Amino acid sequence: MDKQESRVDRRPSVLTKFATAAAGMAAMAYGAVAFAHAMPNAAAIIPGPSLGAIARMMESFRRDHAVPSPGANATTAEKVRLGKLLFFDPRLSGSGAISCASCHNPSLGWQDGLPTAVGDHGKILGRHTPTILNTAWAEPLFWDGRADTLEAQATGPIMAAAEMAGSETKVLATIKTVAAYRDGMARLFPNDPHTVENVAKLIAAYERTIVSGEAPFDRWIKGDQTALSASARRGFVLFNTKANCASCHSGWRFTDDGFHDIGLAGDDMGRAKVMPGLTILEHAFKTPTLRNIAERGPYMHDGSLRTLGEVVDHYDSGFITRPSLSDQVKPLHLTPDEKADLVAFMMTLSSNDTPVTAPVLPR
Amino acid sequence: MKTKFAAVAAAATMISCAAYAAGMVSVDQKGLAFSTGALTVASGTIVSFNNGDSTSHNILVNGNGVNMNSGLQAPGVSFKVPFLKPGTYQVMCGIHPKMKMTVTVN
Repeated sequence: MDKQESRVDRRPSVLTKFATAAAGMAAMAYGAVAFAHAMPNAAAIIPGPSLGAIARMMESFRRDHAVPSPGANATTAEKVRLGKLLFFDPRLSGSGAISCASCHNPSLGWQDGLPTAVGDHGKILGRHTPTILNTAWAEPLFWDGRADTLEAQATGPIMAAAEMAGSETKVLATIKTVAAYRDGMARLFPNDPHTVENVAKLIAAYERTIVSGEAPFDRWIKGDQTALSASARRGFVLFNTKANCASCHSGWRFTDDGFHDIGLAGDDMGRAKVMPGLTILEHAFKTPTLRNIAERGPYMHDGSLRTLGEVVDHYDSGFITRPSLSDQVKPLHLTPDEKADLVAFMMTLSSNDTPVTAPVLPR
Repeated sequence: MKTKFAAVAAAATMISCAAYAAGMVSVDQKGLAFSTGALTVASGTIVSFNNGDSTSHNILVNGNGVNMNSGLQAPGVSFKVPFLKPGTYQVMCGIHPKMKMTVTVN
């Protein structure tokens, strides 16, 4: 817990003009809820954050609207158009039956709704399918961060024997056989058009356009007092104080893009397989975004928790202790009401996005 | 090795690419970022990485045969690294790999 954020601010004279204005906004948005915690026992009482502290919390989650477009693969409309076709095209896979969208299903929060992914020939894989929502900002990619860029990530699952079981031969045959790919890539990459690397660039360009829209939480941050319930507002404060969620789920995407062991059982070494030699990276996995989290269950890298309530219970007391456990994971002693408030808050992170239409694939 | 962040917070302010003579130079870790992306120092300079965040960090230094790991660096803790051999070193946080910078030793 950040003590500075949780203590009562008794020195209003040190507030800057901006902070004063921001505090005013916080007061409007937050109302009196933060100061009306009626907890069943004294030990569970949350120290009431000052208006300035709440304003700072809110400001730290304000959205970033500028979508990255890397110099090595600047986003263009034509790249995005072809990239979307490739993303939905099963002909890139070894079997011809699995596309990127098979696991990253837009109807399921760009995931698959399963505890762990299903790969080639129905093989059950070891990790939960992560969302590709907001991956434009999310490098490094994968649960273990083994891909430094979206371009490096894009063809990983296509080529992985256990996943799409594709091959360079199969991918190149597809893009050279289908005129829309062959001609489109020739226009975009005139020097050496038909390569796996260019397929990766196109898919990455499309993935960068998959951005979560404005959620009730964002409207609340902007000053809409009606956007969040009282329970959700209490949950927001808990998220930033007693529950310590924001120590890792920070920023507008609610992730630090870091790697932490959060005490889930299992022998998957996670990030330590990519960066051996650091105890703190054993069993450590990338902090997932919480955007649209209500629609993206089950949860965790192993898909072992079915509901957000189970997730809160895990962080409250359900984790296992071992040398690599993140020092941010500690018993929380949350009350049932506080747990409900946290879940209510997380429910406000879902955006009502425009439905994605699956493309008609070129022949 | 470890000193409180507050004790060194008043040290030199970093700019985007700064050059320093041998001595002590501070780099702050704040908001999941280093206070500079590139630093140039004289051989023998000690760089103090000061964790000003409320979350733990880690310092990995690689280059010129050096492979240094701070282990867990708790909030408020400084980790000091002597840069002795000329060349360029990559510095990153093993926990938050977006935190990266270079140190060039003249």
